[in-house]
Amino acid sequence: MSTRVKNRMTDEEKVARYRDRLTKEDLVEIYRRMWFARVFDETLYDLKKKGRLRRGNVYGSRGQEAIQVGTSYPLRPTDFVSPIHRDMPIFVFKGMTTRQVMCQVWGKANAPSRGKDSWSHMGDLKLGIIHSTSMLGSTIPVACGVAWALRLDGKTDSVIMTYLGEGATATGAFHEGMNYAAVHKLPIILIVENNQYAYSTPIELEVPTPRVADRALGYGIPGYTVDGNDVLEVYDATCAAIEHARAGRGPSIVECVTYRLQGHADHDETRARQYRPVEEIEMWEKRDPLPRFREYLLSTGLFTEEELPTPPPDVVAEIQDAVEYAIRSPDPEPHTALEDIYDEGAGVSR
Amino acid sequence: MREVTLLEAIRTAMWEEMERDPNVFLIGEDIGRLGGAFGVTHGFLERFGPDRVVDAPISETAIIGVAVGAAAMGKRPIAEMQFMDFISCGFDQVVNVAATYRYRSGGTVSLPLVIRGPSGGYVGGSLYHSQQFEAWFFHVPGLKVVQPAFPDDAYGLMKAAIRDNNPVLFFEHKFLYRRIKGHIPQPGEDFIVPLGEARIRREGTHLSIITYGAMVHFALEAAQQLETEGISAEVVDLRTIKPLDMETIFHSVRKTSKVLIVYEAPLTGGVGAEIAARLAEHLFEWLDAPIMRVAAKDSFVPFAEPLEKFVLPSVDDILMAARQLAHY
Ligand SMILES: Cc1ncc(C[n+]2csc(CCOP(=O)(O)OP(=O)(O)O)c2C)c(N)n1
Repeated sequence: MSTRVKNRMTDEEKVARYRDRLTKEDLVEIYRRMWFARVFDETLYDLKKKGRLRRGNVYGSRGQEAIQVGTSYPLRPTDFVSPIHRDMPIFVFKGMTTRQVMCQVWGKANAPSRGKDSWSHMGDLKLGIIHSTSMLGSTIPVACGVAWALRLDGKTDSVIMTYLGEGATATGAFHEGMNYAAVHKLPIILIVENNQYAYSTPIELEVPTPRVADRALGYGIPGYTVDGNDVLEVYDATCAAIEHARAGRGPSIVECVTYRLQGHADHDETRARQYRPVEEIEMWEKRDPLPRFREYLLSTGLFTEEELPTPPPDVVAEIQDAVEYAIRSPDPEPHTALEDIYDEGAGVSR
Repeated sequence: MREVTLLEAIRTAMWEEMERDPNVFLIGEDIGRLGGAFGVTHGFLERFGPDRVVDAPISETAIIGVAVGAAAMGKRPIAEMQFMDFISCGFDQVVNVAATYRYRSGGTVSLPLVIRGPSGGYVGGSLYHSQQFEAWFFHVPGLKVVQPAFPDDAYGLMKAAIRDNNPVLFFEHKFLYRRIKGHIPQPGEDFIVPLGEARIRREGTHLSIITYGAMVHFALEAAQQLETEGISAEVVDLRTIKPLDMETIFHSVRKTSKVLIVYEAPLTGGVGAEIAARLAEHLFEWLDAPIMRVAAKDSFVPFAEPLEKFVLPSVDDILMAARQLAHY
């Protein structure tokens, strides 16, 4: 069992209460997005079980919604993200339509990758979404390159938010990328979704320091550790890191401590209750970020119960519509498998 | 004899070698507590303990590097790549460090290590969970490369790989893992399939289909169909890709005089190119037809089913090429 969970900021890390600038509308939208992430997941799990999802694994993010929403909410359209396998909802939060995302899931011709690659490997640079691969950590150096291009273009107020599990901070690519970002003070914000297990491997076999954010010490950059199940705490720390980056002061690591409530992917449900203590899972169920945020909102006195439906019906409708749209969308033509390998345009500088 | 799947054959060989030789140990991601993403090392942690079944961090460079260092010291590590695709993240250790070690030590250091893991397509794994990278390593001196198609070979080759004093890359086709069953000898029989020996899986007289991995099964299926059409195809399963067993290949081709080489990796620069070149160099006068190849199209393995099907070779592709050759 992971015993080293520290989910409180130390005094010197206390950041401003950026949350105080959120309006009632913001809070409703944050609430809605957390439900979007939850329903998105539940829908795909369900369809997979029913055999209606043709290919790909569902890497569920149940329990991690506060991170996906709290970190992406403060971003501007001119900022960039590079989400990982568990972050499908972030594509929507950064501007893709739910229909596009579902078409990607079903490998359809009208999907962002035209059926070429699976699920979270899509991107859209115009929307500020960097394409990733399966190779964990490999996108961090790429994010540095995106930052470099922005610097060359004089666009110094964009930030790049790259996501990573705590396990993937063990990769060489992570280290080389973070080191590069720190040396060159690039506006990178590394969000570590510390759900305490990398597949079956507990955090103490991936990370030797008490906190993942301690890795920041090696790069001389700020490292925050926050309660990843508290969306407003996540929001505050992210805003601090963004401000730091926009001011040209370089990268930060924001470690969000959470728990993967499900298996590594849908195929791992049984075993994930064997390699992890069931009491641990049950304890974290009680810290579910969704009811927690709802209770908080009700406690402010700003909301009635009716204003906070579980789930919001428009979220369910939007996801349902996207699934149906994806299912009736056309499959890619076989021969297109040989397209897009090279850019066939003229090879001169634009 | 025991009837097992290809996966169980590999698992059993590793288990028996670990029982036999305390120098053998495993290192990889999720191989202990989980027993491996595909369950190949299920139960090993409980039996052999955490020093011999190492749940490593997500660090392919470190996993392979640790295997290299330990092997140089006389251990016999087996490093698992959760998917063979991820070997690219430890490429430097394989190609620059492991492959060269003996050479740069002036022949004083042996490097008995195995790097194994699931490879190959036909499972909807998309770009990074489907690749057949054997040609990258085929190109590198100092490495051996193996891909079994049947449980008995998997069992015997894994034992040979573990006992070999050189770095061996062991590609396990995930499409075959649980689909293919066969018999392996009883424990204690000490059955080994020597590295570098091909095997004729089906005798024939009109053409030789030279292949390995999952394509062996496609070729056998095609050969059965061809027989009903009056075409007798011999199927040569290379089993070891490097070093190549040219003697068996030459022998078969001298008999049939027609050659079809089948591999799952992209056509260009694949293992089949080298085989074709050697045949052209040495058996030119024996050939009654141009050497033909069936391989994946020069693309990545895409996600969507119609795309994956289009890129990867099929039984039909083999049938078409074989008929063309037979009627040449
Ligand atoms: C370089 C590399 N090695 C291995 C894998 C196989 N793999 C996929 S996800 C995963 C675990 C990731 O754990 P973590 O980074 O903590 O993220 P989480 O899945 O917990 O969100 C592994 C080992 C991979 N994708 N890339």
